[in-house]
Amino acid sequence: MFKLLREIVKTGDVTTRYPKKPFPISPNFRGRVEYDPLRCMACAACTIACPANALSMVTDPAAGKRTWMFNYGRCVVCARCEEVCPTEAIVLSGQFELAVRAKSDLMVTAEFSLVTCRQCDTPFAPKKEVDYAMALLERAGVNPHDLELRRVQYETCPECRRLNDFARLRETRLVSGLDAPAAALVADLVSHMAPLRSGAELEP
Amino acid sequence: MNDHVTIRRGQSHLDAIRLQYGAAIEDAEWQTENQVTVTVALASLPEVVETLYYGREGWLATIVANDERQLNGHYALYYILSMEGADRCFFVVRALVPAHKPEFPSVTPRVPAVVWGEREVRDMFGLEPVGLPDQRRLVLPDDWPDDLYPLRKGAMDYRTRPMPAAPAETYTFINEKTKTSTEVPLGPLHITSDEPAHFRLFVDGERIIDADYRLFYVHRGMEKLAETRMSYNEVNFLTDRICGICGFTHSFAYSSAVERALGIDVPERAQFIRSVAGEVERLHSNLLNVGLACHFIGFDSGFMQVFRVREKAMTIAEVLTGARKTYALTLVGGVRRDIHKAERLRILELVAELRRDVADILDILMSTANLEARTRGVGRLDPKIARDFSPSGAVVRGSGFARDTRTMHPYGAYANAPVVVHTEQGCDVLSRVLVRVEDVQNSLDIIEYLIDKMPEGPVLVEGFSYIPQRFAIGNTEAPRGDDIHWVMLGDNQKLYRWRCRAPTYANWPVLRYMFRDNSVADAPLIVASIDPCYSCCDRMTVVDVRKETTTVVPMKELERWGRERKDSPLA
Ligand code: SF4
Ligand code: SF4
Repeated sequence: MFKLLREIVKTGDVTTRYPKKPFPISPNFRGRVEYDPLRCMACAACTIACPANALSMVTDPAAGKRTWMFNYGRCVVCARCEEVCPTEAIVLSGQFELAVRAKSDLMVTAEFSLVTCRQCDTPFAPKKEVDYAMALLERAGVNPHDLELRRVQYETCPECRRLNDFARLRETRLVSGLDAPAAALVADLVSHMAPLRSGAELEP
Repeated sequence: MNDHVTIRRGQSHLDAIRLQYGAAIEDAEWQTENQVTVTVALASLPEVVETLYYGREGWLATIVANDERQLNGHYALYYILSMEGADRCFFVVRALVPAHKPEFPSVTPRVPAVVWGEREVRDMFGLEPVGLPDQRRLVLPDDWPDDLYPLRKGAMDYRTRPMPAAPAETYTFINEKTKTSTEVPLGPLHITSDEPAHFRLFVDGERIIDADYRLFYVHRGMEKLAETRMSYNEVNFLTDRICGICGFTHSFAYSSAVERALGIDVPERAQFIRSVAGEVERLHSNLLNVGLACHFIGFDSGFMQVFRVREKAMTIAEVLTGARKTYALTLVGGVRRDIHKAERLRILELVAELRRDVADILDILMSTANLEARTRGVGRLDPKIARDFSPSGAVVRGSGFARDTRTMHPYGAYANAPVVVHTEQGCDVLSRVLVRVEDVQNSLDIIEYLIDKMPEGPVLVEGFSYIPQRFAIGNTEAPRGDDIHWVMLGDNQKLYRWRCRAPTYANWPVLRYMFRDNSVADAPLIVASIDPCYSCCDRMTVVDVRKETTTVVPMKELERWGRERKDSPLA
């Protein structure tokens, strides 16, 4: 009993004045996710990395928009998003107070406009992402002519690029040298790709 | 599968069962140097498991069922045994169950330790253990449809919850001692209630004759979730959340399982960092339980003091990982953050402070007359019962068995660490408290050693190739005993099957024996001595077998009675 009293007296008051005074945290503390839409280019890396599905993206091709969405309610504060983000648009802060009055306050969204494909007019990639890639190339010293070729390439959707590649292949011996059944198969494939690209239903 | 394994432990056990069972032993494959999986004929399963368990010092780690119909047209059962005598290893007995006849001979009559595992296999896969005396469900609720087995491939979407198939709770609580099965009124537990555990004590006056309990009210379906939605490197963050106290050790075990399946060489420094984090977690969790023991014997000042001191262990975790809990530290292949010089020094400083504080507090606790008076001889776990059911951690070590997976099957950086596996012979609540007290001090030594000896180098390897259908076991010593994770890799960076067994799963089945012949007032103390997540045990029903009455005692009232020992709520 005496030992306990001595310990209590020795310890004194351990209660802190929080929330009146700030509560100290360690330098590496993983706190609330802070997002900067100006830096973000909607590349989707974070939405793929997030184990908790707190981050997601939806594309609205009709409006030519892609929406980045973050739900604080699902976030497990693991910092995988921070690790993969190429532009430091996401960082984990030292904040640990997450309470909100309305559930909707837990949602953060940002809208990005999409580039439309030069060939088929389908909106496909965020404009900022294309600009970011171009800026990287420019800084790497790529000459203006090549740069323009790259821009054409980047502003063509993956499906059209695949068709272009195939058209080029057909010129070479690789395809023209195929035997009849193989060539038929390839032709069949190509004919299926066009409707797919425009989003139409595939005929059974 | 065997090609990357050169050392093969467990050969002596294989030779022995081959000699005894001949052609029934069909195939043997090593996953790592100390993990071997042996396929046996289904009919011989019970005998082979019994021989290994009682004849060759095997203890049950866990049972895994796997729907391998897409792979080989069968269901498969894996009985994982931890061989703890000579030739230590994980020896896995595998048997195939035909898809058209989903039943297997129950091992429970020969080895009681497998009872929960077999009940769960029946619930989740619909494989019938023929000869299993306990016909009740274990995991699924009473209102779950009869023919829906959640873990069969393609059985259901992980997000759906079927319509209730029964209107009310139909579970029977069984009094094994006097064999009178008591009709259970709906009583305190409505079927939609979310109370995670329900206890039923059969008493004579205030003396407990037998006890039965039901858990899994908050089963989260994590295994299903991981298999269907997550990629293998996301599951780390799910395993972190298996437990709010000791989640990291699960992600450690899980990552180890995947790494072993793929033969990944994890950098040594990463293994040291993981082991430090694991030991910090053991430290704060054991302190927590020592604090709770104070609370339950009515020594609340001690409880407060322990919790004050424990806070430093939480700070170590924060310095090391960026969070007090849910460390998010491991990935398959290593860890996500290194320990730098400033952090190293801060951790050592905190460890030194803790060592002083802990010594002072334990000194006070041990000289509290109440501790011994209230805990000696209470909640006895007979060593024979312990041997039959394979409990782990302080529960089994308090009954004289030096079981600890850190020394039994070393992992991480434990091979040379100064681990002391302390045992006590008292078999009672006091023994279990003393084991934890020793563990607290030993954890401090281990942390210091690991920080001091930590080699330089990378902390993460990437760029390994992911090979479907490889499988292996991951093991770690959590604060409450050993965690066992069994993983089979699948296509598309997903898991084919993941089975996780937390230590408390192995410790619950012996609790009823620990209750017997104790006073009802000691029930909270006994439950706390296995250190489950205590908030789960909200209330309890007392059935007086002589008067045939049923009384419901709220937990608060029971706790008060336990501390003050007067004004019995049963009077
Ligand atoms: S911190 Fe983790 S859970 Fe939260 S948004 Fe980032 S990746 Fe997702
Ligand atoms: S990774 Fe960064 S840049 Fe890419 S979408 Fe996420 S926040 Fe934006």
